[in-house]
Amino acid sequence: MRATRFAKVVRSTLAVPLLLATSMGNPAMAAGTDGLTLPEGFSATVVQEGQGTGRHLAVAANGDIYLASRNGLVAMRDKDGDGKADETMKFGDVQGTEVRLFKNWLYVSDNVGVYRYRLKKGELAPTGPREVVVDGFPMERQHADKTFALDPKGTVYVNVGAPSNSCQQNDRQEGSLGQNPCPILEKYGGVWVFPANQVNQKATDGRRFATGMRNAVAIEWNAAQKALYAVIHGRDSIDTLFPTLYNAEDNATRQGEEFHRITDGGDYGWPYTFWDTRLGKRVLAPEYGGDGKKEPEAGKYPAPLVAYPAHWAPNDLLFYAGKNFPAKYQGGAFIAFHGSWNRAPEPQAGYKVVFQPMKNGKPTGPYEVFADGFAGEMADNNPRNARYRPVGLAVGPDGSLYVSDSQKGRVWRIRHGGM
Amino acid sequence: MSRSRPFISIGVLVLAASAVAWGQSPPAAPAADAGSPGQKLYARHCLSCHQADGYGVPNMQPAIKGGTWVRGEAKPLALFVMTGGFDSAQRKEGATAHNVMPPFRQLSDEDLAGILTYIRQKFGDGASEVTPALVAEARATLPAQ
Repeated sequence: MRATRFAKVVRSTLAVPLLLATSMGNPAMAAGTDGLTLPEGFSATVVQEGQGTGRHLAVAANGDIYLASRNGLVAMRDKDGDGKADETMKFGDVQGTEVRLFKNWLYVSDNVGVYRYRLKKGELAPTGPREVVVDGFPMERQHADKTFALDPKGTVYVNVGAPSNSCQQNDRQEGSLGQNPCPILEKYGGVWVFPANQVNQKATDGRRFATGMRNAVAIEWNAAQKALYAVIHGRDSIDTLFPTLYNAEDNATRQGEEFHRITDGGDYGWPYTFWDTRLGKRVLAPEYGGDGKKEPEAGKYPAPLVAYPAHWAPNDLLFYAGKNFPAKYQGGAFIAFHGSWNRAPEPQAGYKVVFQPMKNGKPTGPYEVFADGFAGEMADNNPRNARYRPVGLAVGPDGSLYVSDSQKGRVWRIRHGGM
Repeated sequence: MSRSRPFISIGVLVLAASAVAWGQSPPAAPAADAGSPGQKLYARHCLSCHQADGYGVPNMQPAIKGGTWVRGEAKPLALFVMTGGFDSAQRKEGATAHNVMPPFRQLSDEDLAGILTYIRQKFGDGASEVTPALVAEARATLPAQ
């Protein structure tokens, strides 16, 4: 099926006024932030919106922006450098989450496969056929997004999320114990690798690189460290599933979202354990004999580099090596947190982009909130009422940080210094 | 590709142990005070998925507010809540939701009646009360466990 059959040029009629300096005492607002709160000296421009349920995005060396969305793939070009898309094209026939550039190819994914389109010079949207890199991942409904990372040698690292909360005999059923060993881990709950330059591979051709990862939506190759990293969605519902051990406040605060360096053969502990941020240690999951404090065998699973608050939903990870941001950001990580639903009835949280200071691939201090204010008032404590939800991150050739949103398909360009 | 040297060294462990302490947690607000027994049971068993406003979470769990199930006949509703699943024959809402509805057969007739009455009144246009006797009648039609 040729992508051109679906290509459609849409002239941008974007008319989103920036919120200007009406907010007193917030210097960032004065520079134009579209209502987001940013550190001093940063500004945000709306590139585009209305592109459906936005997911990840990628920016090419020429500045062209590619957004994956639940509604299809979108290419955007800013011709005059003002940060706003002047040309927008929908293309292809893939509805999914990931989009990455590798050599002259655009790699994308949906819930069952990874595909690629050749990008020809000067072409905004690819016109050639879609090639299958790998397909045949089982169709699932839970944690089905096949996000992936690429290393410079041409390896695709595919996150195969577990279609389960905690591998209970009966998923999400109160008191149901865990399957041991968890059979889901044979096909899911880890990272599988495939060569990027081979076509028509099947999911079963892949090699399992790492396991014990419930859903590593935020997965990224760190070029400086030559290593894979991921921030993993932790488990839900310890309170409703095991009410004699945990209450709603426990559920809202204890299961950390774990940031790991992912090594070949690594096992990160799902579903048998979770990182308890209150205790500051890994504990056995209640489905597997946990009593709220019992620990697994020492050394069996690594501690995370950092654990972020429960249910924040880390949906993208990016190591900053661009030219535009101040020196402190070099080598550090940006993480897009989509925001919680499972904290209810406690207040929802997340819905922000944080910066994790790092040096030589290791954290050097607590995270800092980098961009906030996405969700707005969020009536009724329900995520559906969030104004925006950050979901994807990318860096442009000039070092600008691009952020995508899943509520309105909005894309921002965030820069330091002048607009 | 991956490095061959072991990931965990003593130094890394020490760093990791200190680093994870930076995982700040937001302050938790006190749980909302629930009113009726049915409302309390909804908060306990249903709210985190279907949310306090009954609208669920887009893509994750379906809305029950305004849905035909919640305001329709009580007996099929009671059966659905006791059996759960994606694919109850007449179920339409939530066809695209990611998460599966667990069964709540373990709850007593009284508790299920309380929950069903609450959601029918709150999210189902004030649909009729559900009695424990009706839940028991529905339960009797289920195959033995």
